[in-house]
Amino acid sequence: MQSKLSDIELIDQTLGGNQAAYADLVKQHQRFVFTLAMRFAKNREDAEEIAQDCFIKAYRSLASFQKQSKFSTWLYSIVYTTAMTFLRKKRVDTESIDDENTYIQLESQSSGMKNNMAENRSRSYYLNQAIDQLLPDDATIITLFYMGEQSLEEIARTLGIEPNTVKVKLFRARQRLKEKLEKNLKNEVKELI
Amino acid sequence: MNTIEERLWSYIDGSCTDEERKAIDLLIIQDVDWKSKYEELMSFDLELSKMELDEPSMAFTYNVMEGIRNEYAQQPLKAGINKNIIRVISWFFVVTIVLMLVLILSTVHVTPARITVHLPDSLKLPNIKNLLSSGVMQGFLCLDLVLAMFLTDAYLRRKRQQKEALRP
Repeated sequence: MQSKLSDIELIDQTLGGNQAAYADLVKQHQRFVFTLAMRFAKNREDAEEIAQDCFIKAYRSLASFQKQSKFSTWLYSIVYTTAMTFLRKKRVDTESIDDENTYIQLESQSSGMKNNMAENRSRSYYLNQAIDQLLPDDATIITLFYMGEQSLEEIARTLGIEPNTVKVKLFRARQRLKEKLEKNLKNEVKELI
Repeated sequence: MNTIEERLWSYIDGSCTDEERKAIDLLIIQDVDWKSKYEELMSFDLELSKMELDEPSMAFTYNVMEGIRNEYAQQPLKAGINKNIIRVISWFFVVTIVLMLVLILSTVHVTPARITVHLPDSLKLPNIKNLLSSGVMQGFLCLDLVLAMFLTDAYLRRKRQQKEALRP
């Protein structure tokens, strides 16, 4: 039985001209990259476009990857910059990204359908729904920490900020997430968490 | 001063110091408020770590690889030429020019009155005076100008593309 190759082995093979190795690398990371892109794009079509663009960009600059950090950390920094560019192109400037009002529409949609849905939906669904209502930066930090299994230092490298800033941002993001859950689910939130 | 919640998150994430960790250990055992808050946050943390990743479309990997193949297929032929071949050709010209210069300079005799160059008998230079009529020269300079403009344009385009690709 053939064992699963590591990221570094796949990168070496790709640089040696084996494109199939890069396809394997894409398969290994596509779910997380897509999830991260969803935090910015909020719809599947745009998220797929961002995620595909990231993998193509990563392939283009694969030779410049230093192998000193994890490939995933390097890849996620590409996702972050690509997604931010995507948001800018969509004429959502950085000021409005920091503006909670941007998400009022999403919030009102979710508050309208909160009644009696707790029984029918999974816990993961409600968490994802609440994360979708967060600002992209908050959603990204929570996603990187819990789903990307990145340490505070690795997240700092991905986002280009200090580890202590990440720590503070993560704390605030979790607080805001809890508030969203409480708002969406009211009493049922106690059962969820 | 950090709040209970902030200190507990540092404890759960493992980002606090050993001293802080020991102090919080004690507080959780001794203080009911700390204990209940700790259990609440732990439960929240557990739920977050159990979240599932989204799944892209089935054709995702295929689309990425197709995108890469298309990009490389669209590359101009000059990008596909082995750079070593270009290097060998340029070295050939450089060596030839250097050899010719050495040959010419070794035969130059400088006297105060005039400079005479004695080329070897076997080396016959073409009579370029006939070739350098004003029409030919103007045409040559014109071609040079067009080539310079073309190369400058290609260089600036490439630079702009690289800048756009790197822009966050």
